[in-house]
Order: sequence, then C-alpha cells, then structure tokens
Amino acid sequence: MKKILITQLRILGALMLRETRATFGTSQLGYLWAIITPALGVAVFVAVFGAAGRRPPFGASLALFFATGMLTLEFYKKLSAALMTTFNANKALLTYPSIKETDTLFARSMLISATYLVIMILFFGMLILLGQAALPRHPDQLALAFAMVCLLGTGMGILNAVMLSVWESWQYVESILTRPLIIISGVFYIPSKLPTAAVDILKWNPVLHLIEWIRTGYYSNYASTVLDKNYLIWFALLSLLFGLTGERLTRRRRAGQ
Amino acid sequence: MIELHQVSKTYRMKGIRKVIFEGLDFKFEHGRNIAVMGPNGAGKSTLLRLLSGAEMPDEGRIVRNVRVSWPLGFSGGFNGSMTGLENVRFVSRIYGEDTERIIDYVEEFSELGKSMNLPIRTYSSGMKARLAFGLSMAIDFDCYLIDEITAVGDANFKKKSKAALKHKLDHARIIMVSHSKETLRSYCDCGILLADGKLHYFDDVERLLEGYKALFG
Repeated sequence: MKKILITQLRILGALMLRETRATFGTSQLGYLWAIITPALGVAVFVAVFGAAGRRPPFGASLALFFATGMLTLEFYKKLSAALMTTFNANKALLTYPSIKETDTLFARSMLISATYLVIMILFFGMLILLGQAALPRHPDQLALAFAMVCLLGTGMGILNAVMLSVWESWQYVESILTRPLIIISGVFYIPSKLPTAAVDILKWNPVLHLIEWIRTGYYSNYASTVLDKNYLIWFALLSLLFGLTGERLTRRRRAGQ
Repeated sequence: MIELHQVSKTYRMKGIRKVIFEGLDFKFEHGRNIAVMGPNGAGKSTLLRLLSGAEMPDEGRIVRNVRVSWPLGFSGGFNGSMTGLENVRFVSRIYGEDTERIIDYVEEFSELGKSMNLPIRTYSSGMKARLAFGLSMAIDFDCYLIDEITAVGDANFKKKSKAALKHKLDHARIIMVSHSKETLRSYCDCGILLADGKLHYFDDVERLLEGYKALFG
C-alpha cells in the first residue's frame, strides 16, 4: 500500500513538472505572465470603475471587493476549461502504463490550484501593502473556500473532459453556457442585497456560493444571507462523482479511438 | 509474467468493424523469450500495444506483474515541444529511476550531443529512434517488447544497439514480433502464432516456424 502511494505521488510530481513546462514555456517569464495576467485583469476593472466614480459595494476598497470576486471566478473557469482538453493533450502518455488518464487530470488541477494560490497571495498581499485591504479575518474559512473552488473546478473540469471526449462540439457549447457567469455570480455586487425573486434564481449557481464563501472568509462581517455551504459541497462532490464515473465509463471508448 | 484473461479487441472505423481478438486467454511465462508470428493484419502489433498498456482491451483483463517496456525504438511517448533531456528526465521520474544515472547513460549511448537540449520536434526520425532506444536500454525493464525493430540508426549504431539488447537479455526477457526466421531463431526459445483471432502456442521456435509454414506457406 505504501509503495503504491509513493509511486502515485512520484507520477503526479513528474506530471506536474511536465505540465509546468508545457503550460508556461521555457522561460521563467512564462510563469510570471501566468501570474500577472489575472492580476492585471482585476487592476483594469478597478481602474475603470474607479475612474467612473463607482463606490465599493462592500468595505472600503473597490480593489478588494472586485478581486475576491474576479480572481475566484477566473480560478474556477481556468480549472474547468483547462481540464477539458487534458485527454487530447496527453494521449502520448499512455505509452507509459503506470500513468492513467486520471493522473493527468489531477496533476493539471493541482498545478492550476498552486498557481492561483500564488496569484491570490501576491495580489492580496499587494493590496495589504498598499493599504487597500486588511489581513483576511477568517483564514480558516478562506482556506476552506479555496479548497471548494479546487473541488468544484476539478469536478466540472473532469465532466467537461468526458463530455468533450464523447461530443467534440462541447467545447463551444460549454463556452457559451458559462459566459454569463461573470454577471450571475455576484462579482460586481452583493447578492444578499438583491430582491428575493432574483436571489431565488441566482442561488442555483454554485459559483455564486464560491465567491460568497471567499468574501465571508476575507471580510470580518460580510454576513451573506445567500451562502449555502451544504448546497455547494454537495454540488462539488456530485460533479466530481459524475465526472470520475463518466471517465471510467468512457475510458475504453477513448482508448479505442 | 503477463496474463491475458478473456481479452477482446475490435476496431471500428467509419462503420466498419474489424474483430482482432475475441476471448483470448494466455499466460506469457516469465523466463521465456517469446516469438510472435502471424500474417499481416492478424493483430501482432495490436497484441504488443495491449501488452505494453498503450491500448486497452474492449473486454477482459491484462495482468502485468513485471515492468514491460514500450515497443523498442517507439518514440510516440515523447513530447515534441520538450527537449530530449526533459523527456528523458520525465520518463525516468515516472519509472522511479535515478534521473542522473539515466541521463548519463542516454547521453552516452544515443550520441545526440548538443541536440539533447533541443526540442524533440526538431529531431529527425532516426534521432528520435536513437533516443527512445537508448532510454529503453537505460531503464531496467523485465520484459522488452520488440516490433520488428531490434536495432536503430546507421550500421555502426545498429551494431551498438544489438549489443546493448543482447546484454540486456542476461536479466530481461523479450516478446518479439518478426517475420525474419534468423532473428526469431537467434532471440527466442518459444512462440505463438496468431491466426483468425486465435492464439496457438509452440514450445519451440522450430515448431513455430513449421506451423507458420504449414498454414501460410
């Protein structure tokens, strides 16, 4: 058992190093850009809304409010989109029988999560240094919320990968279906302040709960009336269950392609 | 030892179904060098890919409790955008080998020099084959799979790769697909004949060659 575990860790480690190389290119600059791009995205939004005189919907900092929403959404979208293409990108690896397709999925998910951990620490760290934010008030809740993003993003990403392997057009359909996420996930507003009729519909969106949880962890008194942790946990676990089941059921089909 | 349990494999392409194996049961005993013969399209290469794990059976199980190589000289497992060195490093990590030792061996054996630091996609097919061959010699596999190719490269390099393979056979065993009687005689001590989706075992290479001749002339 211990030997199997060591082999498994070794393979995940080797795959992560390989992914790092494939994703970020040869230069250290590649990794730097991977970190800077999402941060710049938030900075541009903050600059535009700031120039337009928009006041922060919550707390004193527009940057902190948008960052908690946008970085969380970007993290989730990156996971669900990048995992989708894993099977095609790693076909050659089946030459080595000890590597299974699930390993390539988990390695990619771990690398993206590690990258976003660095992005978030750097971005929030910068905000704290600039006096734009305080230290997170509930680090334990923040850590849990971060783990939930990993879980949900990985589950949905694996589901996407399975869907893509049985239906090539899924890539385009998924991108259309998930486009409204930036509007319906509470990135730019406080869901708790919306009319009940709107909340009743929006609360089905698990990404909204991710962002609410992240904010609950960061702010001292965010007091979300919408956040339903149980709903989110069940949604994430079921997506993972269906994703992995789908992977298992379509494995032979893919191997024969 | 590699065991096949009720292994079936069918290819479907553009509505055409081609059954390669159906309900195949066989035990590849360790300690024997096994020849694989059969007419074109009988499924020899498919069998090797199934044994290596590069492909999965539609039904049934394949149990491997020894370390099986990829088909000798096969370079399809390399990532084209990574350098030769990075690919070698990756594979030795996967197999839990001492990375530095493997790199030293492959650099010395494959004679690629500075090209080791270039992406594989810039390699010629000969260079790729030399790298793949060197790598499979560097890792201690228990069983080597050979699909016609026992050596790669130019005359000189062929000699060297043959010698390396012979040396490996002190500890490792092979499963070899070939049409050449001489090659089969010099490497193998028993064999199987694939015909019409069935597998016939011969305990002796000469008997295998006779059997093949009787069926296919």
